[in-house]
Amino acid sequence: MIADYVRISFNSIRHRKLRSWLTIIGIIIGIGSIIALISLSQGLQNSIEAQFASFGPDRIIISAKNFQGPGSVFAGITEKDVETTKRIGILRSVSPALARQAQFEYKDKIVFSLLFSIPAAEYIESFADFSPKLEAGRHIREGDKYVVVIGYSVANDMFDKEIRINNRITINGKKFVVVGIQKESGNRDEDNQIATTLEAAREILNEPEDVDMIIARAKSGQDIESVADKIEKALKRSRDDENFQVITPKEIAAQINQVLGVMQAVLVGIAAISLLVGGIGIMNSMYTSVLERTKDIGIMKSIGARNSDILWLFLLEAGMVGFVGGFFGLLLGIGISFGVGEIASQAGIPLLIKPNVYLILFGLFFAIVVGIISGVLPAFQAAKLKPVDALRYE
Amino acid sequence: MNKIIELKDVWKIYKIDSFEFAALRGINLDIVKGEFIAIMGSSGSGKSTLLNSVGALDVPSKGRIILDGHDIALLPESDLAQIRGQRIGFIFQAFNLVPSLSAIENVMLPMTFQGILRKERIQRAEKLLDAVGLKEKLYSKPNTLSGGQRQRVAIARSLSNNPEVILADEPTGNLDSKTGGDILNLLINLQKTENKTLIIVYCDT
Repeated sequence: MIADYVRISFNSIRHRKLRSWLTIIGIIIGIGSIIALISLSQGLQNSIEAQFASFGPDRIIISAKNFQGPGSVFAGITEKDVETTKRIGILRSVSPALARQAQFEYKDKIVFSLLFSIPAAEYIESFADFSPKLEAGRHIREGDKYVVVIGYSVANDMFDKEIRINNRITINGKKFVVVGIQKESGNRDEDNQIATTLEAAREILNEPEDVDMIIARAKSGQDIESVADKIEKALKRSRDDENFQVITPKEIAAQINQVLGVMQAVLVGIAAISLLVGGIGIMNSMYTSVLERTKDIGIMKSIGARNSDILWLFLLEAGMVGFVGGFFGLLLGIGISFGVGEIASQAGIPLLIKPNVYLILFGLFFAIVVGIISGVLPAFQAAKLKPVDALRYE
Repeated sequence: MNKIIELKDVWKIYKIDSFEFAALRGINLDIVKGEFIAIMGSSGSGKSTLLNSVGALDVPSKGRIILDGHDIALLPESDLAQIRGQRIGFIFQAFNLVPSLSAIENVMLPMTFQGILRKERIQRAEKLLDAVGLKEKLYSKPNTLSGGQRQRVAIARSLSNNPEVILADEPTGNLDSKTGGDILNLLINLQKTENKTLIIVYCDT
């Protein structure tokens, strides 16, 4: 029975091919943009989460709060805070780090970039674990001073000439030996990183006391949030202020997810508008269909169609338009998201696009629902036509 | 006397703004099973209105139309649809085929609304189209058929649920006299062989 109605409705859609396709295109664009925007923002989330996995789940970062509101006194993190943190005694490692802008020179080309530094003896424990693997050379180790480990882009793109192991680059006028070059990670920040020892950095940056951040690692099995809590309390007591923040990976992930959630809502909202327009397109097309088939409705009623039969025929027709639009919209949306993902990856922003079965099913279901909802009013109008009046319609 | 349709003092009044026009004024009519009735009159004399009332397409303003003991003025639309589908076959002047469906699908359509199985529907539709001489045109769309062929499809369709009553509203009005004569003969033959009650409306100008 349903199969017969589907056949009749399908014939009617085919009978007015051009108009049907124009209606379907409206749905294709609506569903396509929703699917594309959702999978792109999910791709962004995926790649951010993947970066987090590499950041290390047991790391806690302590840094200054750089803005406390008007009238507050800015007070940075110092070696004293490093000592306070170390004294808590429950951490696997506590390392001060400086990350400052510096002038780099190699074969007459001068570049300004960020110099990251950490005590030589703690480099492997607190930093190398979470950095890209080495392509050549070695990590910084105890006893090193004027040495650097550089990211893939620093070695290959930043200067006019490629940098190799044991080449010398000049940082703020002081010569450093390149001891390690990292593999390409695809993450722009990592690939552009230049890391040296804190001992050398304090000297060339003329910064004997201040620290930009403290990198602490919890022992395995420790609850990282309660460890962070303890650090916060100890620092609050020793500093007698709250101009610092203790950040755990979970907190960062939560913050990023919140931002992404807002972004996703905005994007989907915009896409939903186009789907709404598509739905109105279906409604318009269905009203036209009811009007131009008024006579057909009269004929069908004269040969025994009940009001409910007519209602079903028109709802099915609208649902099918929605389904076809949803199907092609899915293909379009998935195509766009892979295309944009590919372009973004080449531009250095990795997006991990994964086809999501639930999203696909949701898209298809949603398209059919939009079709049917848009078809309800026209279908009711068709169903309640009086047979004689409908037959007389030309 | 086996009365299958009874009209008792049937009035049909059309209201256009404040102007009232009575198309039917107190019609009394008994129709017996197997009868062949021609309703004749000039255009605008209410013939089609009468036919539509008999066929449960329209309800009278006043009076009673009794079909198998039911007063159709009192029945809800879904029951009227059921009566039209099962007991009455309509043939129209303008053929009134569904343009998006092929000949055989048009003939199958009344059976679809009665929930008859597809296999059975196809068999019966083929048989009916064969009987009206359209064996070769089963899958043709109406717009590829001539007027006479379309009316044959419509006749086959009117018979598909094996109704007791065939109502034909100027069935030859859109056809040339030769084709019209053929169609008329076909109808009269069917009335005799299948023992149907046939009511034809004719414009006598």
